[in-house]
Amino acid sequence: MGIKHYAQVYRGFVSTSFTEATSFRLNFLLLIIMDLFFYVSVLATVSFIFDHVETIGPWNRTQLMFFMSFMLVIDHLHMTFVSESFWMLSTHLKTGELDFTLLKPVNSIFSVFFRHVRPSSLCNIFVTWGLLIYYGRQVPLTTLDWVLLPPLILLSFTLLCLIEFIIASSMFWVTEGLGINFLRMQIQQLSRWPDYIYGILSRKILTIALPVLLIGSAPVHFLFDKSRYLPLGGMVIAILGSFVVLRWIWARGLRRYDSASS
Amino acid sequence: MNASALKWWETIQIAWSKYTAYRLNFFLQVLGPAFVFFFIKYNLWSAIYGGDQDILIAGYTFQQMITYHIWAMIVGLIAQGHTALNLAEEIRLGKISTYLIYPFQFWEFHTAHFIAFQWLQVLTSAVTVLLLALMSLLTVPSFALILTGLTYCLFVSVFWFALQYLTGLLGFWLEETWILRVILQIMTGFLSGAIIPLDFYPEKFVQFLNYTPFPYLTYFPIKIFMGEMNQIGSAYGIMAFWIVLLWLANHLIWKKGIRLYTAAGM
Repeated sequence: MGIKHYAQVYRGFVSTSFTEATSFRLNFLLLIIMDLFFYVSVLATVSFIFDHVETIGPWNRTQLMFFMSFMLVIDHLHMTFVSESFWMLSTHLKTGELDFTLLKPVNSIFSVFFRHVRPSSLCNIFVTWGLLIYYGRQVPLTTLDWVLLPPLILLSFTLLCLIEFIIASSMFWVTEGLGINFLRMQIQQLSRWPDYIYGILSRKILTIALPVLLIGSAPVHFLFDKSRYLPLGGMVIAILGSFVVLRWIWARGLRRYDSASS
Repeated sequence: MNASALKWWETIQIAWSKYTAYRLNFFLQVLGPAFVFFFIKYNLWSAIYGGDQDILIAGYTFQQMITYHIWAMIVGLIAQGHTALNLAEEIRLGKISTYLIYPFQFWEFHTAHFIAFQWLQVLTSAVTVLLLALMSLLTVPSFALILTGLTYCLFVSVFWFALQYLTGLLGFWLEETWILRVILQIMTGFLSGAIIPLDFYPEKFVQFLNYTPFPYLTYFPIKIFMGEMNQIGSAYGIMAFWIVLLWLANHLIWKKGIRLYTAAGM
């Protein structure tokens, strides 16, 4: 089973998600509004703080707004492509519906975490990328930076997903998985601010043991200062390490799964 | 104890057992977000103030800012902790049929759950305040201020419960109501002063906000705990107005919704 097979399966996932989402038009609209409210609240909060201070740590208003827009793009990708699946996993583990997913002839990590796409969030792509381009021009980014931006976003998104997949895998060990989803969201919250706001110990823990601070800070620091390439290297290592940990913990989780419906 | 009071008491006890049965889940779902939120804010403001903790930013020294955010966490726990997570699902899956034949009404059942939840939140908040005081992060205010703040927070929690109940009742018409709840949470977090004090917002925007219930949900109770609020009477009046309005809306929505109810699965 190669990439072509997985691409066909994913096309099916996307197609069914679109059919489902367009059946409930008001929900579709409300999800767009929800995301927009979130973007406004994040950016306005930072803007209001900067009305009273010149800098936060080493960054000025434009730099921090660029960082926030960068994280909103990551959040947008996350909301569109994976977020829905986490909530379904906790339900499927409780009801035993995961059986049907495990029976499918594709890797179960793929079929669990990429099963649901949120088409409504896709509509906000112009907003998040528009903000990123707007603040990127204000920083201003060089041509090289603009070329590097998409692969860096992809790296950040990959790391965020892997960390969240690992956290979500712990649902196999608890009776009620809903709380794990809230833990996952809190971990995501920590990554939404630049690493320099945290104290030395917290920063070390959140960069090395649980590398959430690498998600946004490593690529943005690198874009602003090319001599700061080490965290970016750390990010690649974190992605590889997280992938290994995920496969190991997922295999152990599946062995523990006792299929509630059977 | 008469029959009605006994029903309430039993339901509150069952709700308490349900909330405390999955302790890890309760911690991660209810307490975890509040603690993480405070952890981020503590670090953020430490970075903003840098080494100079005595400078005034929007009228706050570093210690005053941390005190503000500690009380924001406590107010969040007591006044806005409750969610009507299962309400819409009960409507959609036809589970409310049970309440239609039992001698304990739907709203009574959920209000009893809310009361049990509030007890738990008050206890948790008391422990949190004690721990923060022991860590010298917070100076515990006078007993009178704590009592005034707590009473007001519990009053706000009634408003929050009525609002959550309303979003849940919309399950008669909507497939999912969690989206509305999240929109409410985002709006409330931003407009009530839970993320940053309202003193940071543009003046005209704050003047506009004063016509809405938002500042009375977080900013006002925080200022009560900090001993900087004198307009408690008007805050109670405004909240009472919104509670009555929401109560009427809930009553109307229930009456209209129950006519549409198809008792799915029966």
